[in-house]
Parts: sequence; C-alpha cells; structure tokens
Amino acid sequence: MQAKKQMRKSKKGVELDMAPMIDCVFLLLIFFMVATTFAPMPGLRVQLPPPGKPNPNKPKGLIIRIANPEPGQFQGVMMLNEDVVQFENMFDMLVNKPDEVKSMLIIQSERDVMHEQIIRIMDISKQSGIDKIGFAVVARE
Amino acid sequence: MAFLEGRRSKDRDTGLQMAPMIDCVFLLLIFFMVTAIMKVEPNFTVTLPRSDTQHEFPRKKFNVFIGQNDEISVDDQVFNLDSMERFLASHKDHISTLIIKGDKYARHGTVIDVMERAKLQLDKEDGQEIALAVREEL
Repeated sequence: MQAKKQMRKSKKGVELDMAPMIDCVFLLLIFFMVATTFAPMPGLRVQLPPPGKPNPNKPKGLIIRIANPEPGQFQGVMMLNEDVVQFENMFDMLVNKPDEVKSMLIIQSERDVMHEQIIRIMDISKQSGIDKIGFAVVARE
Repeated sequence: MAFLEGRRSKDRDTGLQMAPMIDCVFLLLIFFMVTAIMKVEPNFTVTLPRSDTQHEFPRKKFNVFIGQNDEISVDDQVFNLDSMERFLASHKDHISTLIIKGDKYARHGTVIDVMERAKLQLDKEDGQEIALAVREEL
C-alpha cells in the first residue's frame, strides 16, 4: 500500500524540466540565425543553345578569337574579326560597330585560355550592348 | 494593508509567460533550419573572377566548382566529366540554377566541357539555367 502511494506521488512529480531544453533551443536558434545567409550569389547568366544542334551556317557578326596564352602569361592574344584588340580599346571598338553586327558576339577560343579573360570579354560586351554571346572552342585532340 | 497585499500578490502573478515564448522560438528555429543552406566547399581553392556586370542568383545547393588544374567538383565531391554528368542527371530534379564557380585561372576548355555536359542534363523549358559565378564585391 505504501509502495503504491509512493509511486503515485513520484509519478505526479515527474515534470518536463523546461529550462535546459529552452537553453538548447535558443542555442540552436542562434546558431542557425548566424549561419544563414540571405545574400544572393552574383553571376553571369548563360543561355546555351539546345544540345546536339550545332548551327551549320557560318555565323555572321562579331567574332573574337583568342589564342592560347604564351607560357608565363595570363592572357592570350585577342583578335576582333581581323584586328588585334586589347581590353583597353575593346569597349570602344564594340560600341562603334554598326547595330546589325552587334546582335551577337562569338568567342572563339583555344582550350588553355583562362576563365578570367572570357568573363572579362563577356563583361565588356554586355556593357557595350551585346547581350547574345556564343562560345566556340577547338575540339579536344 | 489590504491594498498593499493585493498589490504584492499581483506582482507575483506577473511572471514571464513561458509557453507562447517557447512556441515563437520553436517556430523561428524551424524556419531557420529549413531555410539554411550549408556552405560546402571542395578541398581546392577557387578564386572567382571579378566582373562589372552581374546578375543576382539565389544561393542553392549543387554548385559546380572548377579548379586551376582541371579539378571538377559538385559541392565537396570530386568528379570527372562523366561522373559529374551522371551525378547531375540523378539530382536534376533539385537543380533550378546550376552555378558554375570557375577559378579565374581555370582553363576555358574545361569550363566549356562542363557547360556542355550540364546542358545535356538540364531542361531549359523547365526553367533550369546555368550561371557563371563572379566575385562578390565587398
């Protein structure tokens, strides 16, 4: 009888202790608040043509050709159509082209050209109002 | 005297109500747990190129990293071109924008190869697109 009474009493006493749980939850909350970043990722959008259909027509418009960089160099030589072009005068050359050829720019580059150089050309061509950019690379040997 | 006592007992009752606060805190906790995207990076370093024109994309999982020495990895798993394509194919339902984080000194040929393979797996009609990441200006 006495044992039963005691058991009942202890059962009533069992209560979820809130304080440590709240401590834990707060800690988790603060961790996730600090770890979350809402800042977007900056990038350049690329819209590629559907796969498996390379355009058979010879592309008209602007073509920038980039050669492999010389050993120890970070940039390859760039040719805009037939003229050698530098980053410094590329914007002026692109802006002054007539509107009908400004519909598209094709970046024809060798495989060892560095990614930074391509991003910079994309950047300059967007600033000069050319939004369509195509990529062409030399096939792998 | 009775007035004083009444006041004191009222004081004792004004304890902080725990239950609604805990409800709020739990709600916030669940919100942050669901929205948090953990940053996973490969074991090689990638320095993004900088650019003046840029578009803003929401951060997502499944970023493709391309290193200086042609390393390819999706988040922290290292791949080659074929296994990367297979990986993207099996996770394509979870990809809306595939962000390619190419190192500034990565070879353009490798970047093009990765874009070609990714293009085969992503569906433009479903709004899946590819972006080249550039450096965040601080």
